[in-house]
Amino acid sequence: MTSSSPRLRPLPLLGLGLWVGLLVLISIWMSHQAYRWLPVQASTAAPLVDGLFSFETGVGTFVFLGVISVMAWVVLMHRAEKYDESDAEPIEGNTRLEVIWTAIPLVLVMAIAAYSIRVNTTLGVLGPMEHIHLHDPVEQQGGYPGDRLPAETVEVIARQWSWEFRYPDAGVSSTELHLAFNQPVTFRLVSDDVIHGFYIPAFRLKQDVIPGTAIDFNLTPTREGRYRLRDSQFSGTWFAANQADVVVETDDAHAAWLKQAAAQPLQPGISDAVEEYATRGRKANPGWATVPPAPPPQVNVPGSNRLPHDA
Amino acid sequence: MTTSLPASPGHGHTGESHQNHTLTGFIIFLCSESVIFLAFFSGFALLKTSALNWLPPGVEGLEWRMPLINTVVLVSSSGTIWLAEILKARGQLWGFRSLWLLTMALGAYFLYGQAVEWSGLSFGLTSGVFGGTFYLLTGFHGLHVATGVLLMGLMLVKSFIPGNYLKGEEGVQATSLFWHFVDVIWIILFVLIYVWQRH
Amino acid sequence: MTSATFPASEPKPSWTRYFSFNTDAKVIGIQYIVLSFFYFLIGGLLAMIIRGELITPAADLVDRTVYNGIYTMHGTIMLFLFIFPVLNGLNNLLIPTMIGAPDMAFPRLNAVAFWLVPIFGTLLIASFFVPGGPAYSGWWSYPPVSIQNPLGHLVSGQGLWLTAVALSGVSSIMGAVNFVTTIIRMRAPGMSWFRMPVFCWTALAAQSLQLIGLPALTGGAAMLLFDLVAGTSFYRPEGGGDPVLYQHFFWFYSHPAVYVIILPVFGVFSELFPVYSRKPLFGYVYVALASFIIVGLGLVVWVHHMFPSGVAQWMRNLFMVTTMLIAVPTGVKVFAWLGTLWRGKLRLTTPMLFCLGGLFNFVFAGITGIMLATVPVDIHVSNTYFVVGHFHYVIYGAAVMGVFAAVYHWFPKFTGRMPYEGLGKLHVLLTFVGANLNFLPMHPLGLMGMPRRVSSYDPEFAFWNVLASLGAFLLGVSIIPFLLNMVSSWVRGPKATHNPWNAIGLEWLLPSPPPEDNFGEHVPIVISRPYGYGTDQPLVENQEAIEHQLILKEASA
Repeated sequence: MTSSSPRLRPLPLLGLGLWVGLLVLISIWMSHQAYRWLPVQASTAAPLVDGLFSFETGVGTFVFLGVISVMAWVVLMHRAEKYDESDAEPIEGNTRLEVIWTAIPLVLVMAIAAYSIRVNTTLGVLGPMEHIHLHDPVEQQGGYPGDRLPAETVEVIARQWSWEFRYPDAGVSSTELHLAFNQPVTFRLVSDDVIHGFYIPAFRLKQDVIPGTAIDFNLTPTREGRYRLRDSQFSGTWFAANQADVVVETDDAHAAWLKQAAAQPLQPGISDAVEEYATRGRKANPGWATVPPAPPPQVNVPGSNRLPHDA
Repeated sequence: MTTSLPASPGHGHTGESHQNHTLTGFIIFLCSESVIFLAFFSGFALLKTSALNWLPPGVEGLEWRMPLINTVVLVSSSGTIWLAEILKARGQLWGFRSLWLLTMALGAYFLYGQAVEWSGLSFGLTSGVFGGTFYLLTGFHGLHVATGVLLMGLMLVKSFIPGNYLKGEEGVQATSLFWHFVDVIWIILFVLIYVWQRH
Repeated sequence: MTSATFPASEPKPSWTRYFSFNTDAKVIGIQYIVLSFFYFLIGGLLAMIIRGELITPAADLVDRTVYNGIYTMHGTIMLFLFIFPVLNGLNNLLIPTMIGAPDMAFPRLNAVAFWLVPIFGTLLIASFFVPGGPAYSGWWSYPPVSIQNPLGHLVSGQGLWLTAVALSGVSSIMGAVNFVTTIIRMRAPGMSWFRMPVFCWTALAAQSLQLIGLPALTGGAAMLLFDLVAGTSFYRPEGGGDPVLYQHFFWFYSHPAVYVIILPVFGVFSELFPVYSRKPLFGYVYVALASFIIVGLGLVVWVHHMFPSGVAQWMRNLFMVTTMLIAVPTGVKVFAWLGTLWRGKLRLTTPMLFCLGGLFNFVFAGITGIMLATVPVDIHVSNTYFVVGHFHYVIYGAAVMGVFAAVYHWFPKFTGRMPYEGLGKLHVLLTFVGANLNFLPMHPLGLMGMPRRVSSYDPEFAFWNVLASLGAFLLGVSIIPFLLNMVSSWVRGPKATHNPWNAIGLEWLLPSPPPEDNFGEHVPIVISRPYGYGTDQPLVENQEAIEHQLILKEASA
């Protein structure tokens, strides 16, 4: 037993139209606010990711407020009278509505998916992936915005619990990642022990580092500054302390840094875990067993992870 | 703890006589059990195709003739258990029991053959991913064969109880279904491990 | 012409039966529910410690190893010892009574499945006390970190964890076989598939997922246990293994697991909205069928938990598309509930308020879910607090609120007492405010780049963390009116009639509480679709006579 749709009178229709218009305005406003919830944009990927997120926020706000409006309306206007125990109208369904509210969400999610696939393809961050010690066929070619070849290769070694960065061309290693502004870079990510996560929020990019594989990963920084690199895949006791800084500097400053770094003797790099582990025995509650931290990597320039960062 | 009504002990379905849902439940369980084998099979295939060095040092491959004989034995036992059920349906209980026992013997031989093969192998459980998957797959399957033989033993004993089949023969059907399941799993296993051998 | 007759007087069953090996599904249901809330309190206590640590940036409350063990066990206990058992409890109470069966298909198997829960629960709690402490790698237990076994002992927290999870799987499979067989084979005469309540549809769907998905987890976990204790190399790269293989096994089950959690809650919403709006469920057939579309799609989305793990680009795009598609049948249900509420005669009782609050939170979570499904956004926010916020909105904001709704709604039926409405409404308010205050701030934290599972964080994340911790403490407080209500109403609440909510359903044609074998041999014959509010059609033959008998019995009690 279905009922036909209620006759649409002009005044309620106008009210509904105004309300929908209001929701649209709020949604657009929210989509602009979305940018403020995100860190500064420091790579070519960031505007693409933020744009997608902003779009989703706008659409999501509209859907959410739409549903909430209906709920608020019924709670306010369709409540049973105090002692009314009787039933309401026996409306069992409406096939046309079912079709509409299946088709529209389907189109909507597929549109969002299509947009995302385009962004994903443009980002093209994932490069060839190979198992170490053997040249296997390349899994996938990465693409670079602007069709430029990568200018620099940096090997990233993730450990429990430190990040080591090696610049093979310059013969430099560090526990502070230095990158040249606006120059594409390819990272070769390896892990000495467990799975780690190579995550730089300001760049909007993340890649798990899998032991037993070397993963190529491409990006182009677009803003000078100091940013955080955080381990994003739980890697054990000092997982939270496994953070390094990323310094994006001009081409000249970068070249200068590499030059002076190459002249430095090797010394222990940054590993907050090693410091904490040393004092652990003296604490009142030393906690449960732990894998001991790997010794800090021997690097030319330790750098710092205690300076203020932009994101 | 009272049962308020006579007759039905609480299992009943209204209007009909005491219904046994054992077979339905068992079939559902078997479907679920097959997924764990599927998981092991796909893990095996993935590890094998992506491995840098699949075979442990010193291991050239797996001898397949003995396992082939074992396969023939196991497949025949599916035949004998099927025949046993036919005889039972015809009321020939002693024929049923003999073929049932023969099936058990064939199953036991399969286990013996498996043990012989294991003891002659030059690699162990911890010999890399090859050793691990080999023993995991054959061991887990062997566990099911042993369970099947035990279940069959139980059914054999129960076949001597007078009036055992008055309430239906779902136990025998379930055991026989389990045995065929174990057989099919072995065939897939045999193809994966012994037939698909490439460097 | 027989009308239902119930025995003249039954000896009052002893409360000790709840502590025994009892095969009555209604007893087992209560056992599951009460035990699971006991573990809920333990898991909740752990959450308070987590939020206590995270109210300041430094790791200054407990040692990092302790924090890691605590957050791991919080997730593990909440999933395996609270939400799955409590839903099985609801299944036990509701499935037989809703379909007119006297009990489950396999009552003894049912009892065994329950008693496994305190066994593996004890194992899990015991892991806090073994040398080395409990498992500490998150409820996912990803290798290689989970198999590092710092002390090298055979019996470790992680080993106990794996054993407990394996036993949990066995218990769940037993339950699933039971629930599925019962629903397929034991429905009342006249109850065709499309006359079955939606709760049974969603239970069937959820338990099918358990049957298909759990063995994959068991297999993957068994291989992890072998790596941990037997020196195998399934997931160890140095032995030729692949750590990402574990992730596939794990998520092949654990994604459908979230549908195992939410589908019964969808069922609860579908049952309660009609009662408290006095209107039929809008589009009942579509709601029922959508459950199975969710099952099908739910099995092919698991890689969306692994987008940054190094899987190929084509795989990321494929699983993004399948994940987006799930929004469609889910949307069908949400719109059906809205359609049910529209032009109804709403009664804002405690169960109804929990459902409304749960729906509100669920829609929000659904939107962040769509965001997480799109790979570029997910690459930024995966493994951050954005995800933690998302899934807590689903689990606490929607599923737990749905469970509370069910408890308050069916409490009169299975205990024979009415719960106190005032305490109930207080519970709803504290829960809704607490949940939103606790989990909404997690979204900006994730967007800003705060990873999850961290025992310390950079100072810029402090503000939202303080808010989240305050919300958590409020949630802790919100349990108090619930516990008070449950205990005091059960002991001395007003007696309940057979149908205090004036609802339509077979369970409401039984006394409160029902006799051990429910309808026994006198199962009513179902003659109409469920949720016939406003149609004046009786649900079963001779309904008036049955109701009359019940009323007489209540009057003479």
